[in-house]
Amino acid sequence: MLRQYFHKRPHLVYIMPAILILGILTFVPTVFLYGLSLTNYELGYPDFKFVGLDNFVRLFSGQDAEFWYSVRISVGFMLIVTVVELLLGFWLAVLLDREFKLKPLAFACLIVPIAMTPSITGQIWKLMLNAENGVVNYLLHFVGGKVIWLSAENAFLSTVLVDVWQNTPFVALIIYAGMRSLPSEPYEAAAIDGANRVQIFRYITLPLLTPMILLAVVFRAIDSLKTFDIPYSLTQGGPGSSTEFLSLHVYRLGFAQTGWVGRSAAVSVILLILITAISWVLIRAYRKGVENRG
Amino acid sequence: MNAYGAKRMGFGTGLLLLIVCLLCVFPMFWMILVSLKSKALTYDPSVWFFSPTLENFKAVFENRNAVAYLRNSAIVVVATTVVSIFIGGMAAYGFARFEFKKKENRAFWVLSLRMLPPMASVIPLFVMASLIGVLDTHIVLIVAYMLFNIPFTIWMMRSFFEEIPVALEEAAFVDGASRFRVFVRIILPLAVPGLIATAIFCIINSWNEFVFALFLTSSQASTLPTTVTLFLSVSGVAWGEMSAVGVVTIMPMLIFAMIVQKYMIRGLTFGGVK
Repeated sequence: MLRQYFHKRPHLVYIMPAILILGILTFVPTVFLYGLSLTNYELGYPDFKFVGLDNFVRLFSGQDAEFWYSVRISVGFMLIVTVVELLLGFWLAVLLDREFKLKPLAFACLIVPIAMTPSITGQIWKLMLNAENGVVNYLLHFVGGKVIWLSAENAFLSTVLVDVWQNTPFVALIIYAGMRSLPSEPYEAAAIDGANRVQIFRYITLPLLTPMILLAVVFRAIDSLKTFDIPYSLTQGGPGSSTEFLSLHVYRLGFAQTGWVGRSAAVSVILLILITAISWVLIRAYRKGVENRG
Repeated sequence: MNAYGAKRMGFGTGLLLLIVCLLCVFPMFWMILVSLKSKALTYDPSVWFFSPTLENFKAVFENRNAVAYLRNSAIVVVATTVVSIFIGGMAAYGFARFEFKKKENRAFWVLSLRMLPPMASVIPLFVMASLIGVLDTHIVLIVAYMLFNIPFTIWMMRSFFEEIPVALEEAAFVDGASRFRVFVRIILPLAVPGLIATAIFCIINSWNEFVFALFLTSSQASTLPTTVTLFLSVSGVAWGEMSAVGVVTIMPMLIFAMIVQKYMIRGLTFGGVK
C-alpha cells in the first residue's frame, strides 16, 4: 500500500527528506519557543512555572519602555537602511550599466563587502570609527572635521552607515542584473512615440524592474529587521541602550546580563510575528510581480 | 544588449565608480594594514608605510588558539554543506521536474524559512540542546545550519535543474532507464557547475554565521566569527590581534566569493535572478 502511495506521488521520494528535516527543525523549536514564552524560566534555576500571558502583558501594558524603544529603533533601522540601500544601489547599478574595460575589477571590489563576515565587519568598523585612534577621524581631520561616531547620539547612524557599506553592493548587483535583462522592444516603441527620458524611466524601466526591486526590498527589509551581528560587534547595543535592536534586546534579556529566558522568549515571539507578517506581505507582492511578468 | 543603447563611460562616472570601489575595499585594506603593524603603531592611524611584521598573526595562533577556531569552522562548514547539498539537491530535483498539488506553496514555505529570525529559533534550540547535552558540540551547529542551507540549496539547485532540457531525460526514459538512474547518471553530471556554486555559497553562509555560533557554543566548538567576543572589552583591546583574526576569517571567503563571481547574483537571490 505504501508502495502504491509513493508510486502515485513520485515527487515525494525526492522532496520528503528535506521537507521532513525542515519541518522538524522549525516546528519543534517554534512550539518550544511559544511554550517558553509562557514561563518564568530563568537560566541557572531548574524549576520554573507557567505564568500564562504575564510576559506579554508586561510588554504591552507599557511597563517595559526598553522593549518599545527596541521596537522603534528596529523598525526605524529597517526603513532607513532599506530606503538608503535601495536608492544608492539603484544609482550604483545605473553607473555600472555601461561598457568599460575594468568592469570585472569593479565587480570584484563590490563583492568584498558582500562576502565579509558581518561580525568581523562590525569589528573592523569599530576600529576605524574610534574617535581618537580611528582612521576615519584621521582622514576627516584633513578637512577639519571630527565626529564621535560611537557616542550615544551617533551610534545609531554609525550602525546604519556600516550596514549600508555592507549591503548596498548586494542591492546594486540585483538591480544591475534586472537592468541587463530589460527587453529592447518597449524602448524602441517609446522612441517612435517620442517619449522623453523621464517618461521612459517612469513608464517602462521602473515597471519592468519592479520584481527585482521587490526582491531586493524583501531581502534587505527582513535582514535589517533581524540585524544582530553588526551592532553586536560594533556597539554591543550601547552606549547605554541606544543601539539595542530587538535581537540584541532578546540577547541581553535572556543571556548576557540577566537570565530571563522566559521573558526574552516572549520578545522573540513578537520579533517572529513581526517578521512573519512583513515577509508574508512582501513575498506575496513579489510572487504577484513575478507571475504577472512571466 | 542595453535597453538605452550603448552608454559611454564618461570621466565623471569613472571617477565615481573608482571612489565606490575604494570605499568597498578600504576596510579590508585597513584591516590587513593594522594586522601587519607592530604593537606600537596600531593606534596611530597616520602611519601607512612601515616594515610589516607577522607578530600579530603569531600571537593569534599561539595565544588565542586560532587553530582551534579554524578547525571548528572547517568541520562544521564542510559537514553541513555536504548534508545540505545531498538532501536539498534531491528536493530541488523534485521541485524542478514534478508537478504536484500546492507545489509553489511548498516552495515558498521553504523560501520563507530564509526569513526566519535566527534569534527566534536559537533560544529553544539552546534550551533543547542543553537538555540533551549537545551544547557546545559540532553536531548542534551542523544541524542548526541546515536550517538555512537546505532552503538555499533547494531554490538554487532548482533554478539550475530547470535549465537542463527535459528532452535529455525523456530520451533516457525511452531507453528504459529508471527515474533515479536518470537523476544520478544524466542530471547530476550536467549540474556539476551549479552544485559547486551552491556548495560554495553554503560554505560562505555557514562560515559567516554568527548568532547560532554565539549561543550554541562556548569553548569546544566555537567558530571563527565568535572570536569577536574575545575583543569586546573597551580597554586594552589588542587591535593588531583583532585584525589578524579578522583577516584569517574573511580571506578564505573572499577567495571563494571570487570563484563563484559568475553566479553571485543568482546565489544572493536564492536563484531568483539569473
